[in-house]
Amino acid sequence: MAETVADPFFKGNTGRNTRGILRLSILVLIAAAAIASRLFSVIRFESIIHEFDPWFNFRATKYLVSNGFYDFWDWFDDRTWHPLGRVTGGTLYPGLMVTSGAIYHALRALTIPVDIRNICVLLAPGFSGLTAFATYLFTNEMSTSPSAGLLAAAFMGIAPGYISRSVAGSYDNEAIAIFLLVFTFYLWIKAVKLGSAMWGALCALFYGYMVSAWGGYVFITNLIPLHVFVLVCMGRFSPRLYVSYCTWYALGTLASMQIPFVGFLPIRSSEHMSALGVFGLLQLVGFVEFVRSGVPSKQFGTLLRGFVLLVFGISFGGLVLLTVSGVIAPWTGRFYSLWDTGYAKIHIPIIASVSEHQPTAWPAYFFDLNLLIWLFPAGVYLCFQKLADEQVFVVVYSILASYFSGVMVRLMLTLTPIVCVAAALAVSSLLDTYLLLKSPEYPGDSATEAGSNGTPAPSKKAAKQDGLRSMRQPLVGIYTTFSKMSVVSALTSYLLIFVLHCTWVTSNAYSSPSVVLASRMPDGSQHIIDDYREAYQWLRQNTAEDAKIMSWWDYGYQIGGMADRPTLVDNNTWNNTHIATVGKAMSSREEVSYPIMRQHEVDYVLVVFGGLLGYSGDDINKFLWMVRIAEGIWPDEVKERDFFTDRGEYRVDEGATETMKNSLMYKMSYYNYCTLFPPGQCQDRVRGVKLPDVGPTLNTVEEAFTSENWIIRIFKVKDLDNAGRDLASAASFERGNKKKKTIKKRGPKVLRVE
Amino acid sequence: MRWILSFLLLGLLAVVQAASASGNKLLVVIEELAEKSKYSKYLGDLEARGFKLTYESPKSDKVALFELGERAYDHLLILPPKSKGLGPQLTPKILLDFINAGGNILLTLSSSHPTPSALVSLLLELDIHLPSDRTGLVVDHFNYDTISAAEKHDVVLVPRPDALRSDVKNFFAGDGKDVIAFPKGVGQTLGNTSPLLTPILRAPRTAYSYNPKEEVEGVDDPFAVGQQLSLVTAMQARNSARFTVIGASEMLENAWFDAKVKPSAGLTGAASDKAAKTANQAFAKEVTGWTFNEIGVLKVGKIEHHLDEGETEPVINPKIYRVKNDVKYFIELSEYQWDKWVPFQPAEGDNVQLEFSMLSPFHRLPLTLSSTTPTSTIWTTSFKIPDQHGIFNFKVNHKRPLLSNIEEKNTVTVRHFAHDEWPRSWAITGAWPWMAGIAVTVAGWVGFVALWLWSKPVPLKLTNSGKKVV
Repeated sequence: MAETVADPFFKGNTGRNTRGILRLSILVLIAAAAIASRLFSVIRFESIIHEFDPWFNFRATKYLVSNGFYDFWDWFDDRTWHPLGRVTGGTLYPGLMVTSGAIYHALRALTIPVDIRNICVLLAPGFSGLTAFATYLFTNEMSTSPSAGLLAAAFMGIAPGYISRSVAGSYDNEAIAIFLLVFTFYLWIKAVKLGSAMWGALCALFYGYMVSAWGGYVFITNLIPLHVFVLVCMGRFSPRLYVSYCTWYALGTLASMQIPFVGFLPIRSSEHMSALGVFGLLQLVGFVEFVRSGVPSKQFGTLLRGFVLLVFGISFGGLVLLTVSGVIAPWTGRFYSLWDTGYAKIHIPIIASVSEHQPTAWPAYFFDLNLLIWLFPAGVYLCFQKLADEQVFVVVYSILASYFSGVMVRLMLTLTPIVCVAAALAVSSLLDTYLLLKSPEYPGDSATEAGSNGTPAPSKKAAKQDGLRSMRQPLVGIYTTFSKMSVVSALTSYLLIFVLHCTWVTSNAYSSPSVVLASRMPDGSQHIIDDYREAYQWLRQNTAEDAKIMSWWDYGYQIGGMADRPTLVDNNTWNNTHIATVGKAMSSREEVSYPIMRQHEVDYVLVVFGGLLGYSGDDINKFLWMVRIAEGIWPDEVKERDFFTDRGEYRVDEGATETMKNSLMYKMSYYNYCTLFPPGQCQDRVRGVKLPDVGPTLNTVEEAFTSENWIIRIFKVKDLDNAGRDLASAASFERGNKKKKTIKKRGPKVLRVE
Repeated sequence: MRWILSFLLLGLLAVVQAASASGNKLLVVIEELAEKSKYSKYLGDLEARGFKLTYESPKSDKVALFELGERAYDHLLILPPKSKGLGPQLTPKILLDFINAGGNILLTLSSSHPTPSALVSLLLELDIHLPSDRTGLVVDHFNYDTISAAEKHDVVLVPRPDALRSDVKNFFAGDGKDVIAFPKGVGQTLGNTSPLLTPILRAPRTAYSYNPKEEVEGVDDPFAVGQQLSLVTAMQARNSARFTVIGASEMLENAWFDAKVKPSAGLTGAASDKAAKTANQAFAKEVTGWTFNEIGVLKVGKIEHHLDEGETEPVINPKIYRVKNDVKYFIELSEYQWDKWVPFQPAEGDNVQLEFSMLSPFHRLPLTLSSTTPTSTIWTTSFKIPDQHGIFNFKVNHKRPLLSNIEEKNTVTVRHFAHDEWPRSWAITGAWPWMAGIAVTVAGWVGFVALWLWSKPVPLKLTNSGKKVV
């Protein structure tokens, strides 16, 4: 082989340095690609906060930045959940806001004045770069192959399953939580490998950060104990495990309890009991190991059996007793719904009504992970080949995350990192095998001859044991350049297609802010439908600063964030009864709704109506959830059955049931709608039905605003009638109907007593 | 904002030389101006009290209650027209809009002419019912004036009215002895449901209303009888605009201001021989004065609430309190009496109450009088905020018959304890065992480390079996 000019760079000490620089620049490029692929929405629309929850996070961050940390900690928000208010500082995960606040102040200190909105918008892409790096570190702990880590980082950087929650503007807890999740796992693996209290403490530290950032920390809380439990069951208890787990558990639990929202949950709720239990188990196992070194093995066996049974009995009994007596909170509904996907629909409609809580459809796996999903099992299989402690972790993680991702769409997010890691392991082992162009030299003619002669040779011995014909060859493997080339090129093209797929998915599915809708004009140019912001701006400019807006809870955060008006309910669904109250007001007759609205001091009612534009995510389509949630609290007053026709259809046209036609939501949605159409052609384009020509009449509310495409309609709640009439007769008088003189009733006159 | 408005109002009031608490522009709707002289005494009284009177015929084009969308007059007096209608400017809707805009209306009826249908339907909207066929006559065979209506018994003599309830102020009591003549009037019945209606003058027990056009002997089915028949009715809308129906416009005529009446023999059979002067002039003044906001008008002055926890200078009207704070509340109330504001005193047996409410009241407290100024009384109470955070209202909802409505709502936020407002752990005796536990653990750990560092390691020896022992 000829000496090339580049040779000195790839050999010896210099070679290591070059590889280091290459590695670094590749990682930086991966991070850059991860960030860049998340910027579609900023380029297409603008630097805007997306969807629903991010609006609250954004609002909270603004509060934090302008009022300081302690005010934020003690924040009582009187502009949500009117009139209950929300102890916001104590009921949120502050990690996200504090992170952006810290970045904001750091940049200020460096005299770089950046708008807090831009920090919030770009936080998620920024952290996705870090996630790629964390994945690199994590994978490097799993594999000796130098390419596995880089591949995993690249996969993590562009996998749509993660991008779905981290595009620019998607300012949600998951934005930083996935980085923390992967990094915590990396530190955990490091701690287990080294048995070091320092790495355990670092792991606990990042676990604490994770707890402050996302409710999904429970996943870590259960996965690490499960890992330890599996290791103990495999008989792999070691002082390393003991030290790392005890350090992590003690410090991590203390750290998590510092978050007000978590508080005493780590020692009181069932979800955290496994961590506590494994902590206890490790003490026992450690004690048993200690005893074993001092007691003869025969007696030890009996002793152990009795001891284990006793301890198990006592602890299990204690757990049941504490749960029954209420000291330990029983499993929550959200938890049950993880085991039984039908549970939520029956018992807690509020959870089931959220689309991201639905079970995952099978195509979603391919959509979100593409080729990674079929490389995933291969990677997990490879872990079995060299089953060290850390490989066990990958296996446990894969099994657990696979199950949960099937139960709930949003948990696809926790599956994505391990899929990327496992797929990277598989791809790297393939590439490592096939990219090596050199074929091994044949050991020599004599050996070959000896083999053919049937004289025993060392290789032959091995081959015989295997018993496979192909293995009888002296050198096993694929050594032709053609087969290598074909495999490598196929793999390369798969990877390229994967990149294409990721870009396509990100661009088409995950980059819409959902605040602004985009559609195509007939000539292919983009048309922006901006009804939401139009309506919120109207509210901001035309209503009193403390005008209370009633809407379905989906829009609560947006109204709070964009219109800056108090709302009755919002996406923080902590009070089911309050939400049911709104549901009842929406689904009842006006005479029933009006006192509810008066009592809650509602000034405006906001409904989303997609009938004109064919926007399917409107309130009439969500209406049954309102009915169901209201029915959960007032089963006698609101009945889902009444909204279906006799034949069980959910209709909005002439065939709609009386209850449906009289419900406030129906009336507000279709009020005056038919005046848009020539007689007889009134049509609802979402549900594709023709509507009756005579629309509903409204007595207790009056139309205040309807946006350009009729997506948002705002109604003002009327005050009580000045002359003491009920609003129906007052409205009828306004329309010019004369009150009929009371016809003399038969029977005794009703006399005025006062 | 509100105080600027009240200053403006006060300034305006000073300019218009106190006639009524709400302006002095009065439109008198009268069909024929010639008839003015019939009411000259009554109208003269009004002018003397400072009202600026404008006369218009209901049919005239110039009669417009609204000008450029604003109320053109403060008060409206409708004297009964002879014609059937009131014209396009005085439809029930416009009249109701006038009330909604805060204008007061004094409406007079007469049994001599059928009531215009516009007025009937207006009254119907307000739940005041007139006899069918738009005519009706109140007669009383036991309380009629023997001088003027010996035959027809249609001049009913009514004593001054009592208070509606014992805890309601009575503005129409007079000196209690004189009688009011109610000649040829139309009685009304009031609906049961409306809390805004108050009968000012009710017919005597023996009175009834019938249709004089029906030529029958005896009345089978009278429209209403006795106390159910209201002769003068007041309606105060939610915005405190007042609307009064006087059943007999003749009451206000000069003739009946001066007339002497002699009551017939009552139920007891004892007829008085003495002819007495009617109290119509005084009564008309009171009813008109009430309708046109000269009496019974309440005004809220300053509202203050602040912490009551021993601060020397508490912040006045803070936006936010904490649960379990002690707070103090003040409200200043004045009542208008003909031409000046006087300190308001609720009727005997009544009181002003404060509600501290979120969805429903958490406290409902009677306010006590704390001090009196020349024009107002200041009411106060102090209480502890409940242990419930949320958005609360300090609410004074004082609605009494014949007094203008007070509904004052001051919204405050009640927050939870901040992280540094809880008692410290060492102040809680129950926490001492735990703190002792922490101290013992810390001490034990330090001791263990010290012992560990101090003790000298023992070199390990090898036994025969190869095991290391200490």
